[in-house]
Amino acid sequence: MKHRDFLLSATMAALTLPGIGAMPLAMGQEPRQHIDVGKLPQQATLVEDVIVPMPSEVFGVLDKLGSPNWHDVLRPDKPPVPSARPETALLLGNVIAEGFIAVEAQEPEQVKKIGRTVLELSKAMGVSKAVVARSSAIIEFADKKDWPRVRRELDGALTDVKQGMDELHDEELAQLVSLGGWLRGTEALAQVVKRNYTKDSAGLLHQPALLDYFDRRLAHMAPRLRSDEVVAKIQKRLPEIRPLIGEADSEISQQSVEQIREIVHDLVNAIAPIP
Amino acid sequence: MKAFHKFVLAFFCLSLLLPAHGWATIDDALSFALEAADPYVKEGFTVREDYWGGDLPVKQQKAIVHQLFKGNEYWFWMGTDVENARVSVHIYDSDGNLAEVEHWQKPHMAAARIVPKTTGSYYLIVEIEKSDRERTHWSLAYGFR
Repeated sequence: MKHRDFLLSATMAALTLPGIGAMPLAMGQEPRQHIDVGKLPQQATLVEDVIVPMPSEVFGVLDKLGSPNWHDVLRPDKPPVPSARPETALLLGNVIAEGFIAVEAQEPEQVKKIGRTVLELSKAMGVSKAVVARSSAIIEFADKKDWPRVRRELDGALTDVKQGMDELHDEELAQLVSLGGWLRGTEALAQVVKRNYTKDSAGLLHQPALLDYFDRRLAHMAPRLRSDEVVAKIQKRLPEIRPLIGEADSEISQQSVEQIREIVHDLVNAIAPIP
Repeated sequence: MKAFHKFVLAFFCLSLLLPAHGWATIDDALSFALEAADPYVKEGFTVREDYWGGDLPVKQQKAIVHQLFKGNEYWFWMGTDVENARVSVHIYDSDGNLAEVEHWQKPHMAAARIVPKTTGSYYLIVEIEKSDRERTHWSLAYGFR
């Protein structure tokens, strides 16, 4: 990764913590058992610096919870490439997340189709150079049914696309890629949880920091992006999810899971309308 | 896994090509974080190809919020290129309780492991505990399985 990327990440990722600066973490000492998160500086609690997990982190857990019928979750139709760049960015994230579902369903032809679509959308965004090798690798490993490797390449494609956009100073579009991927991943997750509800599986939807992060990112986006019809719709509906995902340690009910699914399904349909 | 080893090797080679002083960067710090990660890759951890970093004065901490999922196991690896520096990384849950199940510190690197009891937000607290530099570059990587 290039030095500039690190510095960009660093400014986003790290915030100074004077509030806990007096913590006795002297050399060789054991860490403090408790910190007062309420004393974190305002910027930290505003979650400007949330690490958005890779889709494979969520799908890895779902693997351990059982074997859902992923074929039913898969959206096999290829959505049309939008003319508006914000919508293309959202769709790109969406399609990469779809790739993970196709991997779970172990559908090589679908994965290969997704690999080609990722390249097509990356071209439309001007970042295909960063993604060509990934796209080829996705197709190659799908042919070999090497699913762990396909997952790794899909994770890598997401990272490469976002870095490519950062290099083009399209950081806000890179955030839309993340958001598009998160929405499709959340829709799939809610669908799987709904069909085989358990407290543990529903708990995977407890993602308050991520919701707040995306909410804030949308709020601070350039007006030309926020005025896009699909982006505006997401910005309007995203806060509806917040009360449904529960507080820490509280259960997310079956009804809430269904409500979350309905909201994200509506948003995914706006990003990737079925032709 | 093979690709990851090549990646680590490439970083080491790059470090050797750099002048000994004056060009210390977060990239160099990353090579140590990845060196710390290497044994865990052999244990089945997938290392994310994305990293975080910056520079810090001694005794000043930084926090990163991370969404972690119950059912996964995570290692966070922190590295620095500064000789004799001592760094640390610790993980706290959303209530501020220490949540890691183990941690270690070695020259140039530190790490912490967590098996989240709940899905939700966690705070990663990184610190330069000791260094002879005014500001010390650091880098953080993580893996999961």
